[in-house]
Amino acid sequence: MIKGRYDDENLKWIPVLIIAVYLFPFLLKSATFSYKYYLYIFNIAGVYIILTVGLDILSGFTGLMSLGHAAFLAIGAYTSAILVDQIGLPFELSLIITPIIVGICGFVIGFPALRIEGMYLGLTTMGFGFIVKRLIIAFREWTGGAGGLHVSKATFFGYTIRNDWDNYFMIYTFAILAIIIARRIVKSKLGRAFMAIRDSEQAAQASGINLAKYKMMSFFISGMFAGFAGVLFAHTNHFISTDHFDILLSIFFIVMVLVGGVGSIYGAVLGTLFIVLMENMFIPLFEDGMSQFVHLEAGEFQVFIFGLIMLLFIIFQPQGLYGMWLKMRIYWKIFPFNPKKRFT
Amino acid sequence: MKKMTVMISILLLFIACGKQAPTPGVTDTEILIGNIQDLSGPMKELGAVLPAGSNLYFQYINEQGGVHGRQIKMIVEDHQYNPQKAVVAAKKLIEKDQVFCLYHVIGTSTCEAIRPILAETKTPLIAPATQSGTMSDLSRTAGDLIFHTDTGYDKQTNILIDYILNNDSNAKIGLIYQDDDYGENVLKGAGEAESRHSISVQKEAFQRGATDFTGQVGNLIKGSATHVIIAGVVKEPIIVMKTASAMGFSPQFFGTSPTMDHRVALAAGPAGEGFIAANFADLWNSDASEAVHYRELCDKYEVPEAYMGMYHFYGYITAKVLVEGLERAGKNPTRNRLINGMETLKKWDSGAFPPITYNSNDHAGTESVILVQIKDGVQTVITDWID
Amino acid sequence: MSDLQIQNLHMHFSGVRALDDVSFEVNEGEIFSLIGPNGSGKSTLFNCINGFCKPQQGSMIYNNINLKTIKPHEIVKEGISRTFQNLQNVPYMTLLENVLLGAHRRLTIQDTINRWFSQKEREREEALALEIMDFLGIANFEKKYLSGQPYGIQKLVEIARALICKPKLILMDEPAAGMNDQETLEIAKIISEIRDVLGITVLVVEHDMKLVMSISDQICVLDSGKILAMGKPDEVKNDPDVIKVFLGDEAHA
Repeated sequence: MIKGRYDDENLKWIPVLIIAVYLFPFLLKSATFSYKYYLYIFNIAGVYIILTVGLDILSGFTGLMSLGHAAFLAIGAYTSAILVDQIGLPFELSLIITPIIVGICGFVIGFPALRIEGMYLGLTTMGFGFIVKRLIIAFREWTGGAGGLHVSKATFFGYTIRNDWDNYFMIYTFAILAIIIARRIVKSKLGRAFMAIRDSEQAAQASGINLAKYKMMSFFISGMFAGFAGVLFAHTNHFISTDHFDILLSIFFIVMVLVGGVGSIYGAVLGTLFIVLMENMFIPLFEDGMSQFVHLEAGEFQVFIFGLIMLLFIIFQPQGLYGMWLKMRIYWKIFPFNPKKRFT
Repeated sequence: MKKMTVMISILLLFIACGKQAPTPGVTDTEILIGNIQDLSGPMKELGAVLPAGSNLYFQYINEQGGVHGRQIKMIVEDHQYNPQKAVVAAKKLIEKDQVFCLYHVIGTSTCEAIRPILAETKTPLIAPATQSGTMSDLSRTAGDLIFHTDTGYDKQTNILIDYILNNDSNAKIGLIYQDDDYGENVLKGAGEAESRHSISVQKEAFQRGATDFTGQVGNLIKGSATHVIIAGVVKEPIIVMKTASAMGFSPQFFGTSPTMDHRVALAAGPAGEGFIAANFADLWNSDASEAVHYRELCDKYEVPEAYMGMYHFYGYITAKVLVEGLERAGKNPTRNRLINGMETLKKWDSGAFPPITYNSNDHAGTESVILVQIKDGVQTVITDWID
Repeated sequence: MSDLQIQNLHMHFSGVRALDDVSFEVNEGEIFSLIGPNGSGKSTLFNCINGFCKPQQGSMIYNNINLKTIKPHEIVKEGISRTFQNLQNVPYMTLLENVLLGAHRRLTIQDTINRWFSQKEREREEALALEIMDFLGIANFEKKYLSGQPYGIQKLVEIARALICKPKLILMDEPAAGMNDQETLEIAKIISEIRDVLGITVLVVEHDMKLVMSISDQICVLDSGKILAMGKPDEVKNDPDVIKVFLGDEAHA
């Protein structure tokens, strides 16, 4: 049987990539003295990767817009902080319980999704974000109100995760796990059902897919990923407040998924890395360089760059970074025989 | 196999290039200081003015020859009032730019967020630009590294309630507070005062950014409050007082330090007459010794008119505290010596702040305020430092 | 014995009568064709059987099951599957995955979990699809993404998706629309094979008269929601009303 020549996935480089992820901090440490700063940025990216992978399952695969994922992250972070610090559950148990609690929240938020879709669903989930913020302030005995909450360090089977170095390995172990699980989900019956709901509800129903059940399930799974990210967020940042989880963060999550390429797990990962590194590393570096020549207001410039990136991606590269990578791969694979027009 | 060799050699190259740590932020000619401001977030108006005020004083000191022959250089980072970004900025300043200490970081939640890094790297934070009373709490993470200069909101509220009850023991006090970390702190102070005087304060909350206060004012009228404390920023006292005057309600209004802004007097008009605000420093246009000096320097360095004012002066005066600490840290400053130097301040008069005292058990600095009343549309100081 | 019984079906969308007193019976092992001009209610009839539309009056009985009370996603459980007039595929899945989508009911959660851990299970699942795809002659393309594939192949993927859930009755909505003569012949062959080899009853809506006449056992002609004629191909072909509707008055003259 003739297999597809270049459309099936090449899995050989994945173990290499995983090893590279684990070697990266050692490389960074030897390369620069300020490695902790860079590691911290990668840690943020790692936590967000877990969330955006879940968001991609919801928005990219099932086609349900969510502007409330910062709120899911907040619920996860606060739930874990309360479970571990105030109720006294071990961190390992919180890692299991919190995602389930946040998943159930997602399940509840999923109810409107049965009736509304698109931008309206986005607005509904956004409203959910505001409600969560109010609730966090209202339950001030537990959450510390608007003043924020200090969170203990994570203890993993007797080993305390102390600093950014330890955080990196913990976060990326879970991030890799999350990516693998997400890939398994979208490549199975579940993922096929989600994509069918996105592209053709009729075909989905004719194939025996219960729309309501699978939409809710998508919200539940996405919520679980967000909850998991929330646990890691709380216990690696050591301080959480309502200012962490504002509406802008939800929009950033959507941007990450969009830039990476809607509907591909690796795309969400790439998009998250791209945006987080861009925002925290490259734009500040660029600004530092630019400010020697022209006077710049730091933040304004950042917003401008982001707008530009979004615009360029939507116009020229709607399949995102991952789509770009796939095209490049094909280009090099058949390199001497590249009819140029194929890839435009 | 060939690839492997290449990779290993690259790895070795990186290891060989590894740099050594210098003494952070201090060279023979320069002291590097990190500042994190909100340059593009909700409070970006302050983000431009505060560091400009600090730089005015540094410029003056540098022209005098600097601190022990070292010029002071300040790097300003942006956190957009987002705690996450504040952490990134602090890591950048401490790990990458290798600053000697942090100074004047604005915002309560942002300062709270960077506590773990301060503790981890033992970096002092001098004069955080927040009036949260929990900032100087030594029992918290990195409490020993933070030197607070402003009187906390809880203390301010306490002082205001004391002042009200001293003047009128039958006063019924109402409180309008913002529903965030700021209001949280005000509530704490009010709670303390309530139990101390065994009174009850009528508390009305509003959301950050609210523009309609008829509900709150209506409730205060129902509760027949005679004295009302407004814990807002600039807009809120103006709207509250105008609403109250429109509704025929005229209690004595008080405000916490953020309401002590000349714009309140300008915009509130007759409704704002008699409004009393607490402040943790002298007015920039007063006769206090440093305020006079400040105006001289503003003339000398041609500071734009738009910058001059309360916040510019605030940046300026905290810079003076920092420089005093650096002076006391000695000729070869280390972070520990800076902390020890700061802790030798005993009733030190900055010329604008109330006398500042630090020791190893107390990093609050000051616990007093002056009260400023609007008389005939002009802000006038009506008390000495009270606590 | 009759497989599918439609009796006195009425369906109107706010004044527009889409179906008006339609009754017919489809026998087991038959190829039953529905023809008629555009807007005559063929697709609406399909949507009614499939549960997307709820008819206002009449009854639809399939093997003693009342189809009116069943939700759209449960229809397939009763052994009825369908293809669509406009392609309803998922462009960003491979052909194989598109076909497997139809096997949704056949795969249990246990299968899904097993599949995560075992290569063998994964192959077993794929074999389900490959079997059908082989039958339709598209097995060589199974790892290709659907978007960008020729129209003919996308059509076949739809049919494969409808077949993989092992239906007893398949509803095909214009399987030969937009195809050339060669491909139409192939479709005709496939439809006959579906009945002859797999033993599935076929209910087909089609415009191509040649195709319909060559494969059908029974034909029902619909016009403006009413049944115009019904019977064997030869009877229908010579019915004057049918000729009038399809070819116009001039052709008759």
